[in-house]
Amino acid sequence: MSDFIQYFFNGLVVGCIFAIAAVGISLLYSVLRLVNFAAGDFLTLGAFITYFLSVTLELNFFFSIIMSMVAGMAISWFLELVLWRNLRRNKAGTLALFLVATGVALMLRPIIQFVFGTETRKFNVDILKTYDFLGARIPQTQLLVLLFASASILTIALFIAKARIGKDMRAYANNPGLASVSGINVDRVVIATWLISGALGSLAGVFQGLVQGQFNNSMGESLLLSFFAAVVLGTIGDAYGALAGGLLLGLIMELSQLGIFFGGIPSNYKPVVAFATLVLVLLFKPEGIFGYRARKV
Amino acid sequence: MEAFLQPGFWIFVLALAGIYGIFSLGLQIQYGVGGIMNFGHVGMMAVSGYTIAVLVIKYQWSFWWAALIGVILAAFLGALLGLTTLRLSGDYFAIASIAFAEIVRYWILNTDSITGGTQGSLAIPSPNGFGGYTDQPDLFLTWISDRLYPIIGDEASRDLSMVLVVWPFFLLFIWISSRLQQTSWARVLRATREDDDVPRSLGKNVFRFRLQTLIIGSVFGGIAGVFWALQFALLAPEDFLRIVTFYGWMILILAGSTRVKGLFVAAIFFGFLYGATRFLEFWPLSLLSSPERAYLRVFLIGFVIVLLMVKRPQGLFGKRQEMVLE
Repeated sequence: MSDFIQYFFNGLVVGCIFAIAAVGISLLYSVLRLVNFAAGDFLTLGAFITYFLSVTLELNFFFSIIMSMVAGMAISWFLELVLWRNLRRNKAGTLALFLVATGVALMLRPIIQFVFGTETRKFNVDILKTYDFLGARIPQTQLLVLLFASASILTIALFIAKARIGKDMRAYANNPGLASVSGINVDRVVIATWLISGALGSLAGVFQGLVQGQFNNSMGESLLLSFFAAVVLGTIGDAYGALAGGLLLGLIMELSQLGIFFGGIPSNYKPVVAFATLVLVLLFKPEGIFGYRARKV
Repeated sequence: MEAFLQPGFWIFVLALAGIYGIFSLGLQIQYGVGGIMNFGHVGMMAVSGYTIAVLVIKYQWSFWWAALIGVILAAFLGALLGLTTLRLSGDYFAIASIAFAEIVRYWILNTDSITGGTQGSLAIPSPNGFGGYTDQPDLFLTWISDRLYPIIGDEASRDLSMVLVVWPFFLLFIWISSRLQQTSWARVLRATREDDDVPRSLGKNVFRFRLQTLIIGSVFGGIAGVFWALQFALLAPEDFLRIVTFYGWMILILAGSTRVKGLFVAAIFFGFLYGATRFLEFWPLSLLSSPERAYLRVFLIGFVIVLLMVKRPQGLFGKRQEMVLE
């Protein structure tokens, strides 16, 4: 039982982070039809900027997180202006978008490396303090991450549901032609989507860095496929689906280590659980758990 | 600056160009003809390379038979990938194929008793306690350089022998592939690339055509893996990261995805980029340490990909009209 609680708690924490990263990817896909292969490196970037501000410059931790989100937004905006807008104008195909996103990821990683170095980093927080809950070991940092991440998820969900720009985004994703004739400013929607995904990338990166305890510059990259799995699980392009898919995937990955599943899948195979989930969902339910439309497959 | 002028540097560039050229040829057939976006191509290379290492080191097979089995397994993996996921539409298949290759890599990484795990082929358990797998082909490579020694002296190196082995294959494969693309088989595939319904209405089994393409491409990936394993004589899981697939894609889009013959120029360019970031020692490169150079390489490859897709998506040798637009 204590095992179950432990894995369930871990799953919730990991799942919340997946959810935050996945919703950014899913929004981008729904609005721009772009699979953002660079999303993982935006996590790394967010974590490193926060580290730089809070540990190296000894600024307030929360202020540092906000600034790293601003940086994520600024870079996303910059890339939209110099890159993605031109590609859309040239009617670039799926392959071109894929390759450019990958190219951006390949360029971002060495830049992080050059600016911040290669060493393993650790935030200036007490990672040793733990609480005992029904036999499960609950570290304080993870508990805080869980609280803040859940609050972020609620904010995101409310924002998409209620805010004007959130409604515009959903309208544009649903039917771009109809949205633009009914007076929705397309450029504003696109930029808002980039800003949101940039901010969420940084935020997820900080959370992930806190949960791991220490991190290096391949942190985000190694999680990218898990995010895709979460996105596909929750129906690609569906923002609420991505939130649910992220949580579900986190739980699947952690609970797969329980003894009842083939005697417990070893923890170093956790990424494989995510990849396998991705492939299985694509095979048997490519429209995702919440998909109702028959997609062309 | 001297390294630039040394033949050894250019011979290494050529050897690498040949290997990655063959690798890229697989992608060229899959994408340029069949419109399949395979982002997990590195998995085929990993499978054939590791098959050789394991069969030779652990089970004492002959290198040549092991290479044959390696290529067959790569083809088999291509078939498995295709049978399970090729019915998905383009972007879904691309993501699934990455996941596929990553599963292969994680399996290699975590199966120490067979593959040596993180320590690579050196740690493959061997009955005679020695972890090399290139003894047999090395005899042949030495035989070649012994023949060359009287003519060119000290330039007769293992790399040069590799060039002489790999390039005839590369050119032969380019020739085969360009012949293949003039057949009716390729015309059907080109039709499926634009639209499934027309070839289907003519009674063509679109899925089977695509699957064949994927398997043929995987065979080239597997053969590239054999040469890769031979060139570096040492395998580790991190040699088969996702990025390797994008080395192949860079070569392909540089050449123009429908231009078989541009491929060898693009492959040499890639070989130069790789070799230059690894060996050249002049300012400003001399300021960088070797891990920093590896990162510079990654950056440059990303940069070339982005620049090409924005400025010249048809590649250096392609025609814009022939471009595939989904």
